[in-house]
Amino acid sequence: MHELAIAQSIVDIVEERATACNAAHVSSVHLKIGEASGIVADSLIFSLEMLTSLDSILAGAQLRIDVAPHRARCRSCNKEFHIINFVAQCPTCQEWSDEIISGVELQILEMEIETL
Amino acid sequence: MPKVTIAQNILAANDSIAEEIQQSLTERGIRTINMMSSPGAGKTTLLEQTVKRLREKAGIAVIEGDIETSADAERMEAAGAETVQINTRGACHLEAHMIRDALTQIDLSSINLLIIENIGNLVCPSAWNLGEDCRVVIVSTTEGDDKPAKYPQMFAASQIMIVNKLDLLLYVDYDVEKVKRQALAINPHLRIFEVSCRTGLGLDAWCEWLLTFATHPIEDAISIGRGAI
Repeated sequence: MHELAIAQSIVDIVEERATACNAAHVSSVHLKIGEASGIVADSLIFSLEMLTSLDSILAGAQLRIDVAPHRARCRSCNKEFHIINFVAQCPTCQEWSDEIISGVELQILEMEIETL
Repeated sequence: MPKVTIAQNILAANDSIAEEIQQSLTERGIRTINMMSSPGAGKTTLLEQTVKRLREKAGIAVIEGDIETSADAERMEAAGAETVQINTRGACHLEAHMIRDALTQIDLSSINLLIIENIGNLVCPSAWNLGEDCRVVIVSTTEGDDKPAKYPQMFAASQIMIVNKLDLLLYVDYDVEKVKRQALAINPHLRIFEVSCRTGLGLDAWCEWLLTFATHPIEDAISIGRGAI
């Protein structure tokens, strides 16, 4: 949801950081988006491509999105497992876990810049 | 081409304001609840009933979130709570900066419980921290008994679920046990209340819990909010 607003936040953050390091241009942006974050990667790419095409410092920037799987660690048997449909039940010992180890991220990891 | 590490959460700006809000309210001994549901599940009516029952026992302020109109704020004022209405004019969820602005209009020295009624929406509000100590999701018997599985993020992110409109069970195909099972499969710590705002069924238990939450020392209140007590 709100991929366009999220894309605008990404553009704002990257622009601010790029300006801070005197970058002439940002050539790529690397994101991590959790599969349970509520953000759909394809929609986000679509929105980002549209916004960056209008932006001088980000125009043409390559977008890399790592989609983080929704995973938990079982507190009983310590096994890590993939959460299906938000039901965080350990397939090994059937206990429920609230230790979510990945899948809800909305992060900008890094960018590549061209300096003057 | 040089790589620059950013390592920033995209919603950091909202989270930072939410944290400030939570700290500031906690310092004043104020506990905060964020009430969410789809439109028409009964948030405002439940709040009306709650405020009427608790206004002598707790200082309650309400922040009402709606896209348009001040109808809900008028109802809350009439029920006896100091109320601020936020009209988002289009935004489908409340954000922390809106709460920060609304708080400047409330006399915080006179309250120990702040209730935020979010925009009617079972999707977006769950992603936006408002500085609350406890999140309540309301479902009703006229909405179909499969909503937790269909909207898992909302139920995963909440501490309390209220099943409302129990008085209508005779007229709808709604399996309350199924809703509870689905919700608990997603969030085993969910504390569940079953109520009817029309008949008053279950409202005593809900209000008693809320009063405990509002009047316990703040550290306990947060644990209570998280279902640990």
